[in-house]
Amino acid sequence: MESVPLARPVVLLAADVAFSFADRLVLDAVSLAIERGEIVALLGPNGAGKSTLIRCICGRLAPAAGQVAIDGRDPRRDRAARARLGLVPQRIGVYEHLTVAENLAAFGRLSGVDRARLDEAVQATLARCALEAVANQRAATLSGGWQRRLNIACAIVHQPALLVLDEPTVGIDPPACAAIEQLLLALAADGVAILMTSHDLAQLERIAGRVAFLADGRIVEDGEPAALLDRHFADRVECRVRLSSDAPSAASVLQHAGLDVDAGDPLLWAGLLTRARADTLAHELSSVTELAELRIRRPGLDALWRAHYSEAPSIAESAAGEPC
Amino acid sequence: MLTVMRIMALALWRDRGALLLAFGLPPLMFFVFAEVFSGAGDEDFTLRVAILDEHGSARSALMVETVSALDGIAIVEGAVRDSDDLEARVRAGDADAALWLRGDPALIDPEKAPVVIVGDGSRALAAAVLAGRVQRVLAESFPAVAIERALVTVESLAGPLGDAQRARMDAALATLRQRDGQARTDGDDASWLEQRLLGAGRGNDPGVSYYAGAVAILFLLFSAFQGAISLIDERSSGIHDRLMAGPGGIGVVVVGKGLFLTAQGLIQAALIFALASTLYGLDWWAQFGAWLVTALLAATIAAWGGLLLASVCTSRAQAQTASAFVVLLLSAVGGSMMPRFLMPGWLRELGWLTPNAWVIESWQDQFWRGLPVADLAPAWGVLFAAAAGLVIATMLIARHRMLSP
Repeated sequence: MESVPLARPVVLLAADVAFSFADRLVLDAVSLAIERGEIVALLGPNGAGKSTLIRCICGRLAPAAGQVAIDGRDPRRDRAARARLGLVPQRIGVYEHLTVAENLAAFGRLSGVDRARLDEAVQATLARCALEAVANQRAATLSGGWQRRLNIACAIVHQPALLVLDEPTVGIDPPACAAIEQLLLALAADGVAILMTSHDLAQLERIAGRVAFLADGRIVEDGEPAALLDRHFADRVECRVRLSSDAPSAASVLQHAGLDVDAGDPLLWAGLLTRARADTLAHELSSVTELAELRIRRPGLDALWRAHYSEAPSIAESAAGEPC
Repeated sequence: MLTVMRIMALALWRDRGALLLAFGLPPLMFFVFAEVFSGAGDEDFTLRVAILDEHGSARSALMVETVSALDGIAIVEGAVRDSDDLEARVRAGDADAALWLRGDPALIDPEKAPVVIVGDGSRALAAAVLAGRVQRVLAESFPAVAIERALVTVESLAGPLGDAQRARMDAALATLRQRDGQARTDGDDASWLEQRLLGAGRGNDPGVSYYAGAVAILFLLFSAFQGAISLIDERSSGIHDRLMAGPGGIGVVVVGKGLFLTAQGLIQAALIFALASTLYGLDWWAQFGAWLVTALLAATIAAWGGLLLASVCTSRAQAQTASAFVVLLLSAVGGSMMPRFLMPGWLRELGWLTPNAWVIESWQDQFWRGLPVADLAPAWGVLFAAAAGLVIATMLIARHRMLSP
C-alpha cells in the first residue's frame, strides 16, 4: 500500500494581499502559504515588494485587501499572532551595549517569554545557536558572523512558529554562512516555518524547500527549486567557455553551437544548450588550443532569476547579497 | 586643506539643523540675554510695582504720580487695601516689589521711615532696583531731604561742619524746605526709606530653592532629550523592526522609554534637592509630597518632550541639533538661566509657554512662599495638561511613523 504524506499544518497564510502606497500598487493579490518545517525563499529585485510583504506579514502594515494569518490569527490585531513570529532584520537588530545573554533575555521578555522561563529559554537558545562561548561578551565586540548568529538567536528565543529572515547572511564569511545555514535547517527540522529573502541564490538552492518569485508586486512563480528548474530548463545545461586568445575557428564553433559572446569580454562565451549538444561541443573543443576554460553545469536559481527578470541582480544587490 | 574646508562647509550648509545651531542659536541666545541685562538699567526693564498710599497727602500723591510715570515701572492693577494686601501681592509674585507710603514722603523720621519698599527675598534685586528709582525721585522732587541725608554721611566720614558752614547749609536747606513744604528732622537713609524683604514662608533660602528648581528642570530636559534619541538609533538599526514585529508593538517601545526617562528625571531632581537640603538647609522633607508631584510632572514633560522630538526627527544628528536648540531656548526664556523677573515684560509672559517657568514657580510656591496644596493645584494642572498632551502627541506620531511603508 502506497503511503501518502500527511499535510503539515499551515503556519503562515497570506491570501490575496494587496497594498498601495502613493498611488502605486506595491502588492497585487499576493498569496503565499508556508507549512510547518518548510523553508520558503522570497525572491525579487529591489522594489518588487518583498519588504512590504514582510511588513504585512509582521503586522506593521495593514493590507488594503486580502488577509494575513499566523497560525490562524491576524498579526495586525492579535498580539498572540505576533508572539508566534520571529523577525530577523537585515540590519543587525541587537543592543550593542548588552552581552549576548542579556540581549537574548531582553528580546525574550519583549517577545512574551515568562520571567520564570526566561533563563531556561536563554540557555536553550545559546546552545541551539552555539553561542555559549560568547554568552558574556558584549554584542559590539563580536565579529560579523557572530553578530549575524546573535541576530537570529534573538528572534528564536521565544520559540516562534514562523521565522522571517531578511538577508540573514549578508557580509559574512563562508564558514559563518554555512553555520547559519545549518542552524536554519535544524530549526526547520524542528518544525519552524521559515520565510527568508536573500540574494545569495546558491544558498537558497541549498536550503530552501520552495522559492517564490515576486515581480511588480505579484508572485509570478512558486515551487520547489528542482521542479522549477526542470520546468524551465528541462535537460538544458549552462555552458561557459573562455578562450585564452582570439581564435576565429573556435569562435565559429561556439557561435554555431548557440553560445553568445559576452558583451564586455570577447573571449568569454556562454549560453544554454541541451545536454547532448553540450557534450558534442565539449568534444569539438577538446582539440582547440586556445581553450582556457570550459564549464558545463545544471542551471541554478541564478539562471531562473535571469529568466524572470531578464537581467542579473543589480550591482547594488550583488554587493549586498554577496554569496557565501 | 581647502578641499577639507569645502567638505566641512558643504556638510554644514546641507545640515539645516547644524546650520541653525551654529549661526541661528547664538544670536538668539544673545538677544535673550541682552534683552535681560541691557534692560536692567534702563527703560526696557519693567518692574511690576504695587503702590499703597496710606498718607494720602498732595506730596504722597505727587510721589506716586512721579514713580508711576517712570519708565520701566508698571503699576499692578487693582487697588491695594492695606499693607497686608501689599505684602500678599509681593509674596504671591503678582508684583516684583511694592512702594508703601505710610508717612509724608517729604519728612525724615528716625522712628518710622515714611517710605517703605517691600520686596520678596527671592527677588531681592527687584526691591533694590525700586529703592534706587525711588531715591532718584526723592533727589529730584525733594532735594532738601536728599541733601540732608547726604550731609549725615559726609559728617560721619569727614567730621562735623564748621559753624559758618553749618549756618550756610541751614539757610540753604531752609529755603529748599520752604519751597517743598518740608519740616526739618535730622536723619539718614533709613530715616526716610525702609527696605523690607519678606522672609520665606518656610525659612528656606530663596536663591537655593530657586536655582535647585531652575537647574533641575534644565538638566531634566537635557538628559531626557539626549536619552530619547535612542529611539532614532533603534529605528536606524534593526531593533525597531524586531520590536515592532513583537507582541508589544510600538506601544511597548515608546512607553518603556518614556517610563525610564521619567524615572531618570525623578532621580536627577532628587539628587539636586537632596544636595540643596544637605548643604544649604532646604527643608525638602517637609514638602516632599508636593515636591514629588511637581518633580513627577516635570520629569514626564521632559521625557515625553524628548520622545516627541525624536519621533519627529529623521536622524540622530538632526535630533541632537533640535534638542540643543529647544532645551537652550526653553531654559533661557523659562527662567532656568536667570530669574524671569529680570526679563522685559513680553519675554516674561513668553516664559509661561515653557515648562521651566511653571516648574520653577511651583517649587518656589512650595519652598519659598510656603503655599498650601490648594494654591499649587493650578500649576500642577497646567503641567499635567502639558504632560498628557506630549504623551498623546508622541504616541500618535511614533505610531504613524512606525506604521508608514
